[in-house]
Amino acid sequence: MIDVKKLDRELLKVEKPARYVGSELNSLVKDKDIDIRFAFAFPDTYEVGMSHTGMHILYHLMNSMENVWCERVFAPWTDMEEIMRKNNIPLYGLESKDELTAFDFVGFTLQYEMSYTNVLNMLDLGGIPIKSKDRGDSMPLVIAGGPCTYNPEPLYEVIDLFTIGEAEELLPELLNLYSEEKQKGYNKLRFLEKAAQLEGVYVPQFYEEVYKDDGTIKERKVLNKNAKEIITKRIIKDFNNSYYPEKSILPYIDVVHDRVVLELFRGCTRGCRFCQAGMVYRPVREKEASTLVEQAESLIESTGHTEISLTSLSSGDYSCLPGLTLKLLEKYENENVNISLPSLRLDSMTFDIIERLQEVRKSGLTFAPEAGTQRMRDVINKNLTEEQILGPVETAFNLGWSTVKLYFMIGLPEETMEDVLGIKELAYKVKDKFFQRPKEKIKGNLKINVSASCFVPKPFTPFQWVAQNNMDEFYHKAKSLQKEIRDKKISFSYHEPKLSYLEAVFARGDRRLSKALIKAWEKGCRFDGWQDMFDFDKWMEAFEETGVEPDFFALRERELTEVLAWDFINIGVNKEYLIEEYKKALSLTTTDDCRLQCTNCGINYKLLGGACPHVQNNK
Amino acid sequence: MCKIISKYSKTGYLKYISHLDVLRFIQRSIKRAGINAKYSEGFNPHMKTSFGFPLSLGTESMGEYFEVELDEKIEPEVFIYKMNAVMPKEMQILKASISNNPDSIMKRCRYAQYLINIETTLDVDELNNYFKEMLNEGVVFSRQRKNRRNKLVSKEINTKEMIKYLKAEKTKENNIRIEALFITGERGSMRVDELLKLIEDRDFTIDYYTILKVDALDKEMKPLL
Repeated sequence: MIDVKKLDRELLKVEKPARYVGSELNSLVKDKDIDIRFAFAFPDTYEVGMSHTGMHILYHLMNSMENVWCERVFAPWTDMEEIMRKNNIPLYGLESKDELTAFDFVGFTLQYEMSYTNVLNMLDLGGIPIKSKDRGDSMPLVIAGGPCTYNPEPLYEVIDLFTIGEAEELLPELLNLYSEEKQKGYNKLRFLEKAAQLEGVYVPQFYEEVYKDDGTIKERKVLNKNAKEIITKRIIKDFNNSYYPEKSILPYIDVVHDRVVLELFRGCTRGCRFCQAGMVYRPVREKEASTLVEQAESLIESTGHTEISLTSLSSGDYSCLPGLTLKLLEKYENENVNISLPSLRLDSMTFDIIERLQEVRKSGLTFAPEAGTQRMRDVINKNLTEEQILGPVETAFNLGWSTVKLYFMIGLPEETMEDVLGIKELAYKVKDKFFQRPKEKIKGNLKINVSASCFVPKPFTPFQWVAQNNMDEFYHKAKSLQKEIRDKKISFSYHEPKLSYLEAVFARGDRRLSKALIKAWEKGCRFDGWQDMFDFDKWMEAFEETGVEPDFFALRERELTEVLAWDFINIGVNKEYLIEEYKKALSLTTTDDCRLQCTNCGINYKLLGGACPHVQNNK
Repeated sequence: MCKIISKYSKTGYLKYISHLDVLRFIQRSIKRAGINAKYSEGFNPHMKTSFGFPLSLGTESMGEYFEVELDEKIEPEVFIYKMNAVMPKEMQILKASISNNPDSIMKRCRYAQYLINIETTLDVDELNNYFKEMLNEGVVFSRQRKNRRNKLVSKEINTKEMIKYLKAEKTKENNIRIEALFITGERGSMRVDELLKLIEDRDFTIDYYTILKVDALDKEMKPLL
């Protein structure tokens, strides 16, 4: 245990000390004399991490195992880091206040690439060597999961073992294996060899990446006979009956999302070509409405939350949405519990629902056309016509909304300046919809917030081969829009291109990035996802000093035949399908929502062994 | 239908939870406990609760108070039982009763009673002499705070007018325990960190300390509950 008196002496000097003390309702304290100690590590602040549903699921799942105690650990903010380093207080689990070295596992969730330096920093603060090869049998195993592990290679030197895909079933298997091995006398290598045989486990030290002279990957060599050549992602087949906690930890301080979260379904059938989640979370699996109502009941009871959020990648697609929302409304209308529906595609049907949800408060409505012209929306397969955007906008205005947010991306493949300025055109059409109504109908003060993010090509999408726009192009496009949009009712903002560039470097990077990452951390980079903490110059120095060429990863168009750093992972969707989708994008051909017609992505026979649920005309 | 006043504790690591966070946490606890609280009218209904003076961050307490208006009649014992079932061990309802007092909790709090535990080698008699000086002659210090125009203004404060009782004694563990009774009011109260600062200013070194608020007392020097 860390010196808690020392901690106590220092805590009043930091901003929000409650981030560092645990003791929340529904957090779990077990006897330290337990088989397996697991530190669930979220490489960002407490407030961000505590808003992450996956953490709540896995925390309670692991703690439901009798021989496991799972605790939480977050990245201390810079003020706390300074105090910890100055006073030799190692990073500790919030529940036990034991230093990280006392744990069997430190498990990171990798939600965004810009949190990688925090992973290194947390290990270092915990007194754990950052490289896998420097950690012997006495050190905790450092494992990682989450969406970024679909390309795990930039962290290959750091992480002992990656879990690929959904972990609700894999984690208990892994922990049980560990328990068996521990009884026999734990040996790290032997454990990793056995773990490598579990479906969905990737142990980077058992592989080698070989490069060609031009810098592309020649091949991957398997170095250990226990390791699989192809790692297949894990999915929960019976999602309706999969583990979901009855309780959730209730933070004392304000966190980003402070509410009960229900997961309606996993996966998405829309097939937007820029969207990694839409590909890697296939197939769509729904929960039954009755299951969700039960989960809402127990979570409201255990937390006293005043909001239930119905989440998924595209909540409007949930087949029992009207029934579910009505049921929840009936139940909670008189108990001061609100129901919210983020990620909603707006069409006439869903308006009936949101109208009831937001009975009094007509705050803001968010639309995500993603691109300004039809041509561009066809490229990215955002199957939305202008009428399908403006129609709902008009409905919203008629129903009394006057603030709308419009989300776009710039730097999409095949984009011309005309497409970029199409963003402005669309925003102005939205404005016209507001004023082209009978005078007596115009109420409220119109406010249109247009924001553009810089497109980052991601692995396992049809755009995984394309070159990202360079920063000059991004700035040119963003500044042109800024210049063109001159209207008091419309405000425009854009995401920092430098951050998107770095994100692109790591999203499609390979093992060679590892040394640059370590160097950047040594130079003091952390919390890179926080605009005010992000230090682009330090990153560029780090690349320079380690001889890593970041443009090679972000700005280079790949040949379709090139070996990609993440090709060894099988997400269930065929590479041929992604190639076909890419070609269709270039020829402005759209692909239907796969609930209407199976688009033959491969997930059904590669992972499900049968037809996708909720999909008609399965192939 | 009825108003309940409760005394609650705030101990352990919960001493790092700010006043506003406590407020929200207790309101949620009432909800979790299934007790029907009254809400304000309007677009954004608020639970009708009122609290005592904010406790300084880092101070534990066995004597915090809140009142809540309910839409039901409930026995205080049942209220305590239901609430404590949904609250952590570091924050428990210690007492509760039906409140008929029209004055707010803040208005009723006249004194705050503290126990301050100090790990130090300083001489207890010397300290008590200094305390006598604070109580009899008075020690003047200045308190700085920002005014409405965000400018720093300082105000002279005399310990004599703010401290009712102050005594130090040696404990079994060879630490020093200070018993203090401060005058509190809506126009300002003495704070423990100010007292500790005054002690340190006299070259007494304090290595480590913990503060416990024992209770809040009314004008008759009795606990509110």
